[in-house]
Amino acid sequence: MSNLSRWTRRSRPLFTLYLPVMPFVLFALFPLYFMLITSFKKNAELYDVNAVPFLIGRGVTFAHYELLSKDTLFWSWFVNSLVVSLAATAISVVLGVLAAYPLARLKFPGGDSFGVAIFITYLVPPTLLFLPLSTVVARLGLSDSLWALVVTYPTFLVPFCTWLLMSYFRTVPKEIEECAMLDGCNRLQTMVRILLPVALPGVICAALFAFTLSWNEFLYALVFVSPAELKTMTVGIFSELIRGDIYYWGGLMAGACIGSLPIVIAYVFFLDYYVSGLTAGAVK
Amino acid sequence: MARSSASIALESRRVSRRRFLGAAAGGAAGISGILAAGRAPAFAQTKELTFLTVASFVPETDKELKRQLDEWGTKNKVKVRLDIIAHLQLQTKKAAEVQSRSGHDLTALGPGLGDADLYFDYLADLNDVAADVAPKNGGWLNPDDYLIRGKWKLLPWWMPPFPMAVRTDLLEQIGEKNPDTWEDWLRVGKKGKAIGHPFGTAMGHSGDANVTLLSILWSYGGSYVSKDGKTITINSKETRQAMDFVKRLYTEAMDPEVLAWDDSSNNRCLNAGKCIGIHNPISAYESAKKDKVLVPGTQKEIAEVIDHINTPRGPVDRKATTGFWCVGIWNFSKNQDLAKDFLRYHFQPDNLAKWVEAGHGFNMPFLTNLTKHPVYKSDKQYRFIPEVAKVSVPPSWPGPTTAASQQVWDLYIIPDMFAQHATGKMTADQAIAWAEKEMQEIYAGRKRRP
Repeated sequence: MSNLSRWTRRSRPLFTLYLPVMPFVLFALFPLYFMLITSFKKNAELYDVNAVPFLIGRGVTFAHYELLSKDTLFWSWFVNSLVVSLAATAISVVLGVLAAYPLARLKFPGGDSFGVAIFITYLVPPTLLFLPLSTVVARLGLSDSLWALVVTYPTFLVPFCTWLLMSYFRTVPKEIEECAMLDGCNRLQTMVRILLPVALPGVICAALFAFTLSWNEFLYALVFVSPAELKTMTVGIFSELIRGDIYYWGGLMAGACIGSLPIVIAYVFFLDYYVSGLTAGAVK
Repeated sequence: MARSSASIALESRRVSRRRFLGAAAGGAAGISGILAAGRAPAFAQTKELTFLTVASFVPETDKELKRQLDEWGTKNKVKVRLDIIAHLQLQTKKAAEVQSRSGHDLTALGPGLGDADLYFDYLADLNDVAADVAPKNGGWLNPDDYLIRGKWKLLPWWMPPFPMAVRTDLLEQIGEKNPDTWEDWLRVGKKGKAIGHPFGTAMGHSGDANVTLLSILWSYGGSYVSKDGKTITINSKETRQAMDFVKRLYTEAMDPEVLAWDDSSNNRCLNAGKCIGIHNPISAYESAKKDKVLVPGTQKEIAEVIDHINTPRGPVDRKATTGFWCVGIWNFSKNQDLAKDFLRYHFQPDNLAKWVEAGHGFNMPFLTNLTKHPVYKSDKQYRFIPEVAKVSVPPSWPGPTTAASQQVWDLYIIPDMFAQHATGKMTADQAIAWAEKEMQEIYAGRKRRP
């Protein structure tokens, strides 16, 4: 093989894959990059209109991270977000599986309408729901506790998980479940022992989405929880670092950077499941 | 065959369908009972005074308020809690608390007095507290302004007066001294823009835009609602004069970016060394001082070349407005007497004085004696703040504050009217006609809040 053809073969991915994808990667990563460098810039540089905004020109500072750690309850907010997101995700995925299975597999009167109703529930925006939900939360005595969020987040997570899992369950051949039933499994055992292991990518995809939605949630966390030590990260950072007409941009960006980490880590670990979960049924 | 102990234990833990349904029904009945009763279970009802307020620009203000609340709680053996949120979040929080008839006992209200009309049916009367507080502090500045439907539904708490923040070095460079009128500022802005340092005032959807453009409207003799609170008065020759002035200010003395500014943008413009002057409270100066921001290209701190002077006067008057931050007590609070007691405590002259001092004069109470607080003489930057406070009126001036006036503020009708003419999208007559129609609809109650 000549050098030219070897070079052509080796460099083909560069021109057919990497270079065409590069603009999209840069576009996607730019906000993260900008957050990161802003969080390390000194305030004086942040104010300087002549400074190059995309580079750190006057040295790195950790002052914004110190501000978060020392002058705010940032780490409490971080833990609160984590606890609420994990709990709400676990509850929603379990309920989503239990709701999606019969809707995907069983024939019963009103089944299709029920599926559509769940979808419509998902379409109702939280900005409409927070007022009636605030009444429910207050009457349950859950105001100003993390339970208020653990209970209310599934209102938008369960419909989403159900809808996503319904689609995924339908891609799994019925025949393998029927085999299990012939071997003596009942419905529940079939679902737990046969369907769920096969549908694991879908379940992980639903869990990832649910976790991300919970982690980013702002409105319910603002309305239902007031004490500083119980705030979630999204609300806590906003409350403490926007004071009147002064925005603590460095601190806000430092909080955003740290806040991105759990999501980044989760997606790095489960990316393959996520992709296969989303693309299930795309090609049949 | 004898069953193993493990399998027996497993069976004993197994829940029968009937037991599960029974337990689920019991749980559902319990929750239904709580929902039907409309109140939380008894274990959640501990006596506690809670106060919701907005994060102050000066964090020490919040610390001093918390200290006073803790001190009052210790004296009265009441558990206390101060919750602080960003001011942008307050509307949502108030709406949820009113909807659920639960939440905090004391709440910050504002910006503006309109909350008291909007939530009139949910706020406790504070006539007694207002009457107790006034004589100890030299009286309210303009008590008639604070009455909503003839009642004290809130206590006006603090305002950040809007002086002019100006770069003294740039003034010197363009050969100007002591600009005092809006026309002076147009001239200063033109000269400043020519050397790359324009004047800056927000003209988009922000509180600052409402404040400055209303100030200009009044200074030219205009207003949007009459004293009766019903007649829309925006269609006048004075409004046209104000609009022509703002058009010249926008095109000759400012950059188009002001159309997209939020409340923090003019601070940034001044502290970045770009703007020659902004109409703003002292927050920009204070943050420049704290962050040791330098004049671009020099080693000189920008705070050293910033001065604050009086809010400008126009051909007719010198008037301004600002965010009127207030405090109220929800009438669904179970601790209304305790809440009133704390307000009396906080509004004692000593406590208010400490609180004003902690805020470096940013938060000025609406009480005569407090406008003479020593903090306003502690730094020459603060010298005009009491003067500005004296000419600061509610945004609905000369009309009374109502839910409709609050809506005019919240929908940014005034900034939109000025901006549509300034940018050439509408003639002055068209922009005024548009604003007049909007206001008439709002005051007739045909428009709902956003």
